[in-house]
Amino acid sequence: MARKTAIKVANLTHTVTSNTGDLTILKGINMEILESESVAIVGSSGSGKSTLLGLLAGLDVNTSGDIHLYDEHFSSQTEETRALIRGQYVGFVFQSFHLLPSLQAIENVMLPAELKGDKQARQKAEVLLEKVGLSHRLTHYPNQLSGGEQQRVAIARAFASNPKILFADEPTGNLDEENGKLIVELLFDLNRSQGTTLVMVTHDNGLAKMCDRQLVMSSGQLTEQSL
Amino acid sequence: MSFTFRLMLRDIRSGDLLTLLLALVISVGTVTSIGLFIDRLQLSFEQESANLLAADRLVRSDDAIDTSWIEQASKQDLQFAERTSFTTMMFANNALQLSQLSAVTDDYPLKGAYLVDEALFGTGQAFTGTPEPGTVWVSSRLASLLNITLGDAVEVGDVTLTVSKFLVRDPGSTTSSFAISPRAVMNMADLAATNVIIPGSRVRYSLLLAGDRENLTQYEEWLLPQLQEGQRWRTPTQKGDRIGDTIGRAESFLLLAGTLAVVMSGVAMALASARFVKRHLMQVAILKTLGATPALLGKVFLQQLVALFIVGALVGLGTGWLIQEAIASLLSSLMSTALPAPSVSSLWLGTATGLISMLVFCLPLMSHLIKISPLSVLQPNAKIEFNGVVIYIIGFIGMYALMCLYTKGFLLPSIMTIAIAGIALLVASIGWIAFKLGRSLTSGATSGWQIGLASLYRRLVPNLFQLLVFTLIIMLTLILVGVKSSLIADWQQQLPEDAPNHYLFNVQANQIESINEKTQALGVEQSDWFPMVRGRVVVANDVTIESMYPDGRGEPELYDRELNLTWSDSIGEGNELVEGDFSAEGLSVEQRAATEAGLEMGDVLTLNIGGNRVTLPITSIRKVDWGSMQPNFYLILPKSVLEDYPANFVSSWYVSDSNAQNFYQTMANFPTVSILNVGDVLEQVQTIIGQLSKAIQLVLLCILSAGALVLLASVRSTLEERLEEGALLRVLGARGALVRQALLVEFGALGFFAGLIAAVGAEACLYGLQVFVFKAEANFHPLLWLLGPGIGVMVITTIGLVASRTVLKVPPMLLLRDLS
Ligand SMILES: Nc1ncnc2c1ncn2[C@@H]1O[C@H](COP(=O)(O)OP(=O)(O)OP(=O)(O)O)[C@@H](O)[C@H]1O
Ligand SMILES: [Mg+2]
Repeated sequence: MARKTAIKVANLTHTVTSNTGDLTILKGINMEILESESVAIVGSSGSGKSTLLGLLAGLDVNTSGDIHLYDEHFSSQTEETRALIRGQYVGFVFQSFHLLPSLQAIENVMLPAELKGDKQARQKAEVLLEKVGLSHRLTHYPNQLSGGEQQRVAIARAFASNPKILFADEPTGNLDEENGKLIVELLFDLNRSQGTTLVMVTHDNGLAKMCDRQLVMSSGQLTEQSL
Repeated sequence: MSFTFRLMLRDIRSGDLLTLLLALVISVGTVTSIGLFIDRLQLSFEQESANLLAADRLVRSDDAIDTSWIEQASKQDLQFAERTSFTTMMFANNALQLSQLSAVTDDYPLKGAYLVDEALFGTGQAFTGTPEPGTVWVSSRLASLLNITLGDAVEVGDVTLTVSKFLVRDPGSTTSSFAISPRAVMNMADLAATNVIIPGSRVRYSLLLAGDRENLTQYEEWLLPQLQEGQRWRTPTQKGDRIGDTIGRAESFLLLAGTLAVVMSGVAMALASARFVKRHLMQVAILKTLGATPALLGKVFLQQLVALFIVGALVGLGTGWLIQEAIASLLSSLMSTALPAPSVSSLWLGTATGLISMLVFCLPLMSHLIKISPLSVLQPNAKIEFNGVVIYIIGFIGMYALMCLYTKGFLLPSIMTIAIAGIALLVASIGWIAFKLGRSLTSGATSGWQIGLASLYRRLVPNLFQLLVFTLIIMLTLILVGVKSSLIADWQQQLPEDAPNHYLFNVQANQIESINEKTQALGVEQSDWFPMVRGRVVVANDVTIESMYPDGRGEPELYDRELNLTWSDSIGEGNELVEGDFSAEGLSVEQRAATEAGLEMGDVLTLNIGGNRVTLPITSIRKVDWGSMQPNFYLILPKSVLEDYPANFVSSWYVSDSNAQNFYQTMANFPTVSILNVGDVLEQVQTIIGQLSKAIQLVLLCILSAGALVLLASVRSTLEERLEEGALLRVLGARGALVRQALLVEFGALGFFAGLIAAVGAEACLYGLQVFVFKAEANFHPLLWLLGPGIGVMVITTIGLVASRTVLKVPPMLLLRDLS
């Protein structure tokens, strides 16, 4: 049976205005990512990887072209609906973790479920934190956790809404090798066990090779390439 | 529990919400406490002054009191009493004397009490009640003129009354008018039978009222449209009288203090909101990536604000009430009368202030917060900027609106707003130059001085903003200190301890020497004797007064009654020449009276003096200090004109309590001489001034503490950056002393410049306030120029060091962790 298309991008261009004039960051990108695929995006710094990831997740509106997430057409939606689509389809893991500093680990993980009004938020969060091996640090605040631990909380939070697609922007960028490996294992584990599509930006060739496909970004254009 | 409140509860732990709450509480609290306190002072002084009026309100009429007025008074649940005063002949022992007689109903006086004595020329004890029907109380002077004592009979018209007490003071007739005959008071029940009041008699009818403020106000609204000529509504304190003016100025001060408190709390609110927003930007972006919609976030923050407002307003109102209670109870030991409870309705002002502050300072920032792009999470170092200009404009307009709401006027807010705008400009330019200069003078980072000065320049914009906040707070403080001291000094100078408290008039030229001689031994102080001739202005610049004001409406004081005229060689104490030559052969006119009548130098007036007409040009204009309690005159004529007319003489005296009895007894030898005792009024004014001075100092103290809190909040708002820097320095191996020195230099410099600019601003503001609001003379305040920079350096460095002490104490490791 043919797999469903999770993400479809056609002629995507993105231009931003800065104080030095207009800057076209993405120049006509076309791609398709299938359900439960794992894709790595690599490329030199400043080539536009994070920008692409942000647009795919609907964090901003692209200048022209189309982005589809399953049946949803991102480009034509308001921020209001895009937020709802994010809540329904998308999970996010960042290089710098981005946990809410005023919330405990468990509360951070509860957030996505709470936003949807899920009464079971706490129980689900406990299970998720247990999966990432942090059941003993539930009530700790982010600044009491190490970088690796914070990233594990972030992963638990990303999976809390049962996302169909998980975006990760250099998830191991701030971690040592050992912690990085742990995080990568977790991500692929969840990718496999829940059938989640994984789109990951990374500078780590080893990590990129673990993905089904590798896309290379260079000065705003995307080429497929196996390493 | 909803998501909003769960999020909020968790947020409370971070302290940001609490800072916002604190700002709100300060805002609502100070405005409420000052509002309540002003309210309470007003009530208290109104009550005290009511004792001088014998009622809360009074209607005076030349015709008998309308029965419908009385009916309405009982309908409004008001207490009432009546007094009918007239001049009549009284007979006893074949002697007769023109006297001022009042007939009063049994409830008179509604406020205060009669002062009576059993002994002739006694100083009197308070007595609640009125003369019984069939009896009369007479003043000691009247008794000696008629040669009667207690138990004797006196005839008034067709009725014979028995003297039962000597009248020392009638609570409702404290007046400074010079035309007073000896007094007596009788019961209203006897009045009709005397048959002395016939159509055409000159009688003054008074209806006295007392009761609830609200009922009185309603009554006033009902009555005022019905009043006709010759009928007057009187309140205990009115504009123009001494007590009214004193309280009026104190209220202006408190109003100013309250306005400044509003500005301060606005600043606190804006600071706290900015801090809240800054610290929540990333959180909102993250929440958005997690699928929170703008609508949901909008709802969440709006609900948080509403909850915050409810809690803040309640706590603020409570705190305000408590502070006001505390001030009042501190004062009540100093005050002669207990303060009445404040009215609850004045609480709305605090609530309104809190609400507007939130709408103006909080909401615009919050709405920016919600608009933040979720993309920010991917550019961790991207600076998140929002349109500051709009926010400042809204804040500025809001501040102005708040002040207008608070003062119910535009003058004070306008002065303050212009001053603040000017200060902002000054701060920006001076600060920029100074910080830049400081940076260019030092390079390297080996001493605390260098690091401190460098960081002033590096964070130029936030530091300039901080400088502005410091400057504003110090400036507001200096303004209050300046106004307070000049107000109090002014009051004290106005009424020295030994201000004259008695007037002697109706003195004949041949009595002067004998009075001087007999009183010399008593050691009482007296002014010069002024001759007094009565006369009336009949023509001004060839136009008769009668044709100018046919029905007497709007007639200036100079024309509408017979005046006391005098002559004098020198211009005299309490008088100041404004224009012209005092010694010229012409009229010298008092400035205010001249302005009211539209007269200028060179205008010509014709006076009717004892049937003769005298025409003279105005050759000088004088300013008179009516507070000096010296005999003062609207018109002074050349000696050559007046000396041929029979004159009475008048002088003012200071008689202390200890020699009052002796003085009265001595004066009993001169029964034709009238004595007017204004000691009660004076004493009351002095008490009120004393109380007001203390009240004002307490309010000032309160505002200063609020100001210190705002400063603290302001320092805290930049704490993170300082902590980060301090921690970094320490990680790099700097000793604690170096970091401390750097902070000291930074805060010291901020404090110094803030204080200096604040002194400039305060001096300018005081000029505006004194000239336009207090209508006093402007003067220079050297103290401010010392206090400003002094307070600035001391307070700011102290607060700065206290707030940043964690930089020095906590291991740098922890700080860096917290900050990442
Ligand atoms: N809002 C913006 N305004 C101006 N320039 C922008 C904006 N957003 C991104 N850029 C620029 O676009 C380029 C691409 O940025 P992006 O963050 O996507 O790069 P990246 O591939 O993720 O780099 P890195 O590997 O360093 O994270 C950069 O040069 C960046 O400075
Ligand atoms: Mg990137």
